[in-house]
Amino acid sequence: MKLAGNDMLIQSLVDEGVEFLFGYPGGAALHIYDAIFNQNELQHILVRHEQGATHAADGYARATGKPGVVLVTSGPGATNAITGIATAFMDSIPMVVLSGQVASHLIGTDAFQETDMIGISRPIVKHSFSIESAEEIPRVIKEAFHIATSGRPGPVVIDIPKDTTAPDKLFNYDPPKSVKIRSYNPPVEPDPKQIERAISEILKAKKPVIYAGGGAINSNASEELYELNELLNFPVTNTLMGLGVYPASKKRFMGMLGMHGTYQSNMAMHNADLIIAIGARFDDRITNTPDLFAPNAKIIHFDVDQSSVSKIIEANIAVFGQVKNSLREINKQLKEKINLIDKNKIEPWLDQIDEWTSLHGLNHELYKETSDNNMIMPQSVVQHVYQITNGSAFVTSDVGQHQMFAAQYYHFDKPRYWINSGGLGTMGFGLPAAMGVKLAYPDEEVVCITGEGSIQMCIQELSTCTQYNLPIKIININNEALGMVKQWQDMSYGGRHSESTYQSSLPNFIELVESYGHVGFKIEKNSDLKETLEEAFSIKDKLVFVDVYVDPSEHVYPMLVAPNGSLKDMWLSKDKKV
Amino acid sequence: MMQRNILVILENKPGALARVVGLFHQRGYNIESLHVDPVKDVENYKEIEDSLDLKLQENEVSKLLITTTVSDNLLRQILRQINKLIDVLIAKEEI
Repeated sequence: MKLAGNDMLIQSLVDEGVEFLFGYPGGAALHIYDAIFNQNELQHILVRHEQGATHAADGYARATGKPGVVLVTSGPGATNAITGIATAFMDSIPMVVLSGQVASHLIGTDAFQETDMIGISRPIVKHSFSIESAEEIPRVIKEAFHIATSGRPGPVVIDIPKDTTAPDKLFNYDPPKSVKIRSYNPPVEPDPKQIERAISEILKAKKPVIYAGGGAINSNASEELYELNELLNFPVTNTLMGLGVYPASKKRFMGMLGMHGTYQSNMAMHNADLIIAIGARFDDRITNTPDLFAPNAKIIHFDVDQSSVSKIIEANIAVFGQVKNSLREINKQLKEKINLIDKNKIEPWLDQIDEWTSLHGLNHELYKETSDNNMIMPQSVVQHVYQITNGSAFVTSDVGQHQMFAAQYYHFDKPRYWINSGGLGTMGFGLPAAMGVKLAYPDEEVVCITGEGSIQMCIQELSTCTQYNLPIKIININNEALGMVKQWQDMSYGGRHSESTYQSSLPNFIELVESYGHVGFKIEKNSDLKETLEEAFSIKDKLVFVDVYVDPSEHVYPMLVAPNGSLKDMWLSKDKKV
Repeated sequence: MMQRNILVILENKPGALARVVGLFHQRGYNIESLHVDPVKDVENYKEIEDSLDLKLQENEVSKLLITTTVSDNLLRQILRQINKLIDVLIAKEEI
């Protein structure tokens, strides 16, 4: 088959199984856009800003496990994509970003819409390619998808000078059948000896904790993790990125850990004698002060990325490999030693955790139909959404208090249903990410839990939702302030709310969304909350935006005491510290 | 803390050097000296060829020598980070 560079590019994407291309056209990408016009195998989604394209592709990737694909033009198109690429990089999300570039002979001349995309994106990509000639397009696409999806996944940028996609020069389209990059060999299978060592520690432990993160989701290891804990019955905590990898409704699940983790999770980690880290990276929201972290714990660390192990907390036993394969191996070896597992040994520890849970577990009293002043608590909004959706919706979030409330009070039983920017903490992520999820799963309920600050960072995507008829639910937890900033200002800056309120400048969100053709509801009284949310969720064919005014003084608790605190040092409310 | 020499063998491709140098800056490591050459004397790299199970061609890869002053733990972390770069064949301490 003879094809021009632009057609080879699109055909290569189709051959990789790409369904959706999230993008925005412009001069340097026009040859490619012409090739899109002439085919109907993949669908292009025209966003309203390139940041939206990257987040939508990211949401698609998180929900499906398949790589998200983005197409932008050179210069501002490429730079606008940067925040979304960094977001995917920090959370290890597979993504391929195609960026148009000025023609080869213009590179380095400060041509119109020229920018050094390879240079700008270098610190936030897993790898990048610059196309030098049209002939190499099929090979580069193949390699890019391989790199983005294997090992520890991540974003890959391909910079494409305009001349390499010119329609007037034809090439023999003969894509490589397989890909082998001699300098790239991420570990897959674990070393069985390390597994043996891990098991001997597991059998000795009296106060064990399983701490699982986003890496376990990326590796599709939830079944193996479940099986492991059917054998062990250990208490389990998940990171913000790991929620859903172990079912929240299981008895041994303690909730999220870390900065806004549950009391029992943080206490269990601090007092543990063995921490089994599975695809989690001990970042600063988890460890608090590293020198004070879990002083008596041995660490077994399962990860595909060697550089994540012993980076912050020294591991006693490291198991490198795909987490799924490593857990499969440990389950196999454990079953052979099943008579050596003494479940009674950890009974006092499980009792201790139950005691912590009943003492200071999450405050489910907040979920109530009436309140003294009829003010709505933000936590109860999430709890109502959880009830109405039977806990089975895809939930995307933005960043701030609402994100933490969603993580604490929407209990995920399955992986890939909780979609948020954990590492970079990108406001503006939630709405475009929800678009990517809804395109992948049009028949599923997709809810974006956001705040009035975050939603305004990518609110232009409401227009994209109209164009492609994406009936997602947006729950705007409106406290008329940048809540998390304000919380820190309350706690650490004497209540001086520097630039964290809008001075009555918020739009009328209902009229705003209606102008895009969507449906809006406003809720101000606790007594209306349940009924109006139920009405909103009964609408299936339209995007519904629910603007919920909540108690603006509410803080997120628990909250770790910082700086110089350990995991046992927490604020439990505005006036209670342990 | 002591002075270390790091040897990196990487593909001789545009941009490959920048990835290694950029990584030092991104991660807050210091480079004291840096020397880079295309590898011509492939016969002297038999050990590396054997450990990676491949054959090198003249000028196909570059040799990078970096001097830096770091602790043992940080050296291990730096080597792991460099080895993670897609274009790097091997990074190790040169004693």
